[in-house]
Amino acid sequence: MSTATETLGPGAAAAGIRPLPTLLDAVGWEVRKLSAQIRARAVLLLMVIAPPLIVVIVNGQGRPPKDTLFGRYVHDSGYAMPLLILGFASQWVLPMLTAIVAGDIFAAEDHHGTWKTLLTRSASRGQVFWAKAITSIAFAIVAVVLLAASTIGSSVLIVGHQQLTGLGGQLIPSGTAAWLVGLSWATALAPMIGFTCLALLLSIWTRNPAFGIAAPVVIGLTMQLVGTLGGIEALRPLLLTTPFESWHGLLAQERFYGPLTSGLVASAVWSIGCLAAGYLIMRRRDFTGG
Amino acid sequence: MTDSLAVDAVDVTKRYGDLVAVDAITVRVAQGEVYGVLGPNGAGKTTFLRMLFGLIAPDAGSIRLFGRSWKDAGPRTLDGVAGFIESPKFYPYLSARRNLVGLSVLDGGAPAGRIDEVLEIVDLSDRADDKVGGYSFGMRQRLGVAASLLRDPRLLVLDEPGNGLDPAGMRDMRALIARLAGSGLTVLLSSHDMVEVEEICDNVTVMRAGRVAFHGGIADLRAQAPEQGHRLATSDDPRALSLSGGTRVQEHPDGGLMVHGSQAEVDRYVAAVVGAGISLRALRLTEAPLEALFFMLTEADAGPPATGPRPTAEVGA
Repeated sequence: MSTATETLGPGAAAAGIRPLPTLLDAVGWEVRKLSAQIRARAVLLLMVIAPPLIVVIVNGQGRPPKDTLFGRYVHDSGYAMPLLILGFASQWVLPMLTAIVAGDIFAAEDHHGTWKTLLTRSASRGQVFWAKAITSIAFAIVAVVLLAASTIGSSVLIVGHQQLTGLGGQLIPSGTAAWLVGLSWATALAPMIGFTCLALLLSIWTRNPAFGIAAPVVIGLTMQLVGTLGGIEALRPLLLTTPFESWHGLLAQERFYGPLTSGLVASAVWSIGCLAAGYLIMRRRDFTGG
Repeated sequence: MTDSLAVDAVDVTKRYGDLVAVDAITVRVAQGEVYGVLGPNGAGKTTFLRMLFGLIAPDAGSIRLFGRSWKDAGPRTLDGVAGFIESPKFYPYLSARRNLVGLSVLDGGAPAGRIDEVLEIVDLSDRADDKVGGYSFGMRQRLGVAASLLRDPRLLVLDEPGNGLDPAGMRDMRALIARLAGSGLTVLLSSHDMVEVEEICDNVTVMRAGRVAFHGGIADLRAQAPEQGHRLATSDDPRALSLSGGTRVQEHPDGGLMVHGSQAEVDRYVAAVVGAGISLRALRLTEAPLEALFFMLTEADAGPPATGPRPTAEVGA
C-alpha cells in the first residue's frame, strides 16, 4: 500500500465542494448496470431470435390457428402473423418482459444491500428514482421495438408481403397493411409503459425482486380475466390490459380510434399514478437496511 | 464554512414506534479529529450514522456536516463527506473498477487516474478487474474505503470497519485508518471494539441503548477504567483469601478467587500466597481495564453520562 498522504491527491485538500451529477449521469449508471446483467441481455436477444422461430413453426403447420385473431390468415399474408403474435404477447408476455427489469430495478438494491452505497454519493433520491424509471421505460420500449421489428421482418420475409384480410373481411393493400401492423404494435407501447410503472411501484414498495417481477404478470392476467366478465363496461376502459386491444379498431372495415384514445388516457393515468406513488415512497423512505 | 465543526449533531432522536433507537444524543466532532462512537450491537451507533448520511430522517434534533444540513443543502450536505454504513456493499456482477467508475459518475465524475489511485491505497490494484462477487469480506471492506476516498473526503465515516475481518485484516484496516487520519482527514469511527477505538481515536462517545453513556477523551476514559481482574486458583482458597491484606480479593461464584488491583498489588498478593505454602494452580487475567469499563458503561442501568474534559469537541446527552 502506498501512503495515504501521497495518494489522497490534490482533491483531498480542496474545500470538498463537488460537481453534482446530472440526471443523465444517473441514467448512464443505471444503463451500465443493466447492460452488465445477463438477464437483460438475454431478454433482448430473445426478442430478436424467438419471432423467426415462431414464424417458421407456425408457417410450417398444415392447419393455421383459426380460433385466434388473424390466425386463419397466417399462411395468406406475412402481415397476419405479427398481429397474431401481438395478440398473444399482450396476454402475459409483454407485462413479463417489462417486469423482468422494472420489477427488479429498485428491489435489487435492497437485495444487494446497495441503497446505502448509492445514496451516500452526491446523487439525490429524486435523481436515482428518475434514472431507474427512465432506464426501465427505455428498456420496455426497446424490447417492444425489437420484438415488433423481428416479428414483422421475419414474417414478411418468410411468408411474404401479400395483402391482408382485415377484421371486417376487407382486403388491405400491402403498403397500408405494413403501416397498420406497425401502428398496431406501437399502440402496445402505452400500456407497456403503464405496466412498467406498475412494476416499478411494486419493486420499490415491496423491496422484493421476485414479487416485483411476478406480480405485474399476475395482475395483468387477473385484469384480462376481469375484462372478460359481463356487466363491467364502465370498469373495462380503466383496466391496464384493455389498451392492449385498442389496435383492433385500426383493422376494422370502418376504422375507429376511440379505444386508442381511451387506452392512452388509461395508460397515462396508471403510469402517472404509479410513478407518483413510487416517488413518494422513495423520498420518504428510511433506509434502515440495504 | 472551513471553521465549522465536521459533525454538529444536536439532540438527535430517532424512534421506531415505541423503541427509541437514538435518544437525544449530541455529537460534535472538530475538523481533523479522529472520533470514536463505541457501543454494543443495538446501542444506536449505526442508526446515528445513517442519520448523518441522510439515509434516515431524525425525529428530533439537528444535524450539520461542515455547517450544512439536509434540510437546507440536500445532497450538498455530503460534500466532503464519505464512508460506509455497516459492511460496504457493491454490485457483485461488476468488477471493483466498474463499481468505482459508476460511483464516481454519481459523484459528478473523478479525475483521470483517481480510481487507480484509490485502488492502490487499499491494495486492490491486482484484483481491480475481478467481479466483486468473488471478493472476500476483507476485500469488500477495503473496497468500501476506496469508494469513500474517491470522494476526496474531509470527513470519513466508517461503521465498524474491522467487523468480520481476520486479525491480519483488522491490523491492516487499523493501519490504513491511522494513515488516513495522519493525512489530516477527520475520521468518525463506530465500533464495538474498545481496543480499536483506543488505538485510533482521540475522543470517544460510548452509547448504550440509544443514549450517551460516556463522552470524552481516550485519556479520560482510561482514567475511569476499573482495576484489572485476575482469576486465581490455589490448593487452599479459604486460607489464600485470609491473606488478602489490603488487596481486594473475593471468592468467585464459579470457584477460585478474583483479585482486583494494580499489577504490583496482584504480584505482592501472589507472592504472599506462595510464601505461605499454598500452591498456585492457575492465574489468569480475565478483564483488561478498558474492556471492563466498556462493560460497566454499556451494561449498567441507564443513568446520566460520564464525561471527561473535551478540548476540541463536545458530546452530551
